[in-house]
Amino acid sequence: MMKDVAFGQYYPTKSYVHNLDPRLKIVFLIAYIVAIFLAKNFYGLACCFVVLALSIGFSRVPVLRVFKAIKGILFLIVFTTLLNLLFYNGETVYAEWWIFTITKEGILFSVFLVIRLVLLITCSSLLTYTTTPVALTDGIESLLFPLTLIRFPVRELAQIMSIALRYIPILMDETERIMNAQKARGANFETGGLVSRVKAVIPVLIPLLLSSFRRAEELGDAMEARCYTGGRKRTKYKKLRFTWRDLLAFFAGAALITGVVLLNVYLGAMI
Amino acid sequence: MRIQAEHLSYTYNPGSPFSSAALKDVSLSVEEGEFFGIIGHTGSGKSTFVQHLNALLRVPTSLKKYRKKHKAPPSNTVLRVGEFDLTDKKTDFNALRSKVGMVMQYPEYQLFAETVFEDVAFGYKNFAPEKPTKEQVESAVRDALTIVGLNYDEVKEMSPFDLSGGQKRRVAIAGVIVTKPEILVLDEPAAGLDPLGKQEVMELLHRLHASWCKTIIIVSHDMDEIAENCTRVAVFSDGEVKYVLPPKELFRHAEELLALGLDVPLTAKICLALKEYGIRLECDFTTEDFLKKALALQGKGGSV
Ligand SMILES: Nc1ncnc2c1ncn2[C@@H]1O[C@H](COP(=O)(O)OP(=O)(O)OP(=O)(O)O)[C@@H](O)[C@H]1O
Ligand SMILES: [Mg+2]
Repeated sequence: MMKDVAFGQYYPTKSYVHNLDPRLKIVFLIAYIVAIFLAKNFYGLACCFVVLALSIGFSRVPVLRVFKAIKGILFLIVFTTLLNLLFYNGETVYAEWWIFTITKEGILFSVFLVIRLVLLITCSSLLTYTTTPVALTDGIESLLFPLTLIRFPVRELAQIMSIALRYIPILMDETERIMNAQKARGANFETGGLVSRVKAVIPVLIPLLLSSFRRAEELGDAMEARCYTGGRKRTKYKKLRFTWRDLLAFFAGAALITGVVLLNVYLGAMI
Repeated sequence: MRIQAEHLSYTYNPGSPFSSAALKDVSLSVEEGEFFGIIGHTGSGKSTFVQHLNALLRVPTSLKKYRKKHKAPPSNTVLRVGEFDLTDKKTDFNALRSKVGMVMQYPEYQLFAETVFEDVAFGYKNFAPEKPTKEQVESAVRDALTIVGLNYDEVKEMSPFDLSGGQKRRVAIAGVIVTKPEILVLDEPAAGLDPLGKQEVMELLHRLHASWCKTIIIVSHDMDEIAENCTRVAVFSDGEVKYVLPPKELFRHAEELLALGLDVPLTAKICLALKEYGIRLECDFTTEDFLKKALALQGKGGSV
């Protein structure tokens, strides 16, 4: 049950996309999101879609698995689409009833919104599918490095993040184990009213908290025993390096944004 | 209650890149009254198997889905504990769990209540068909704490977190047996205890076996423990059952067991070493019997 939570959804395989520099992937993702929102007509979105399809193809992650991520926000998509469809103030009115109006512009806008949201979610999940949490933190750390100039503790922050990420699966396992132990003693997590459900959580929460503290203490001791002090003199085991593949992907990203902007200019905005 | 498992398979995270087949077509039955041992190397599926016995892990009920997920024909999968059919979705799993007590690995980490009393009473209150009276709860908790060898009046008001490791484990065991389950399953009950603590836990289990729990199943790494205590042993390896034998016969296969990466009791090792010198010593591998036979051998001057 805990395994269904979308965390740690890294999909282990070897591929072009997996091998890219995490920094580049993060920047590319940001550029991609900007492109999605810059696109003002379907041609632009089509470009974005093609790029995403290519990326998925090169990542060797099964397509169905990538689109699974949408399931989580399906409700959000349906809800916002309906709102837009029914309340958008357009000019060409198709139907009107009580406070609802369905307009041509509303329909267009809703379709646009759906495509945008779907693209947004799939490309973000593609990043987590193809990048280990550790690589991701390394990338973020490296990208935030300029902030050290204003004394922002980027390294420590990255360390905290990677430890936290590292412990998520462990805590989930632990939760499952404790839940099982209490279930064996007749605890009931599935039925009952709100009060009894909240009460049912206590026998899980307390052992979980205790073991988290214990783990934190142990980890702290272990790190100190190996002379961890934080600070800026630390070197890295895995250094991030740009290679020719990264350069290629970089140009692809730049081309995408330029393309979308050009399409906007030459073919006109639809919304 | 008799436990019967046939063609039981289980895969964790089926259909994902992390999938791992933990049980492969396991068939095993445990009769009422046994003190049954399960041994096997790390990751051989012991815990996975025992968690099926009180439906913490479930045999998937939808056959079609199950076939697809586990790549195994489930039509012949049988899992019964007494009158409970665990392959049936409608089985009352709560009733099952009150009959099959489960002590997980390191059970002391499941303690949560403010006092020892509250913690032990947790299971009793959960399983009681109707709200038990205060006296009922008190007498059940008193019995449970007494049988695990703790002084009820001394510990009942204490916080479980103030106890020593061995005491915590006893409280945790008390919290499971408080419903007097007919079958008691323990996953590595003596792990992490010192030799004396281990011995005390085993004594406690024998006490339970003689009184409340007709059948006891222990998962263990410690071959000596198994040899000394169990009536029969199942050897797990890579999700399969290799042998089901009484320890006496099992350790005749000492060489095969060593090849499987398992340890054998010290007595079996000595017998193996003696065999190399042409000395054959037939014993049932408990320390007591071994010493008796070895001394008898010595009296005869080395020849049998
Ligand atoms: N919650 C889980 N999720 C995924 N895989 C698991 C999980 N629990 C166990 N496994 C896998 O299933 C296999 C059997 O595990 P199991 O815990 O049954 O072994 P075990 O015999 O109890 O080992 P140990 O002696 O170390 O306790 C192992 O390969 C393990 O990696
Ligand atoms: Mg185990």
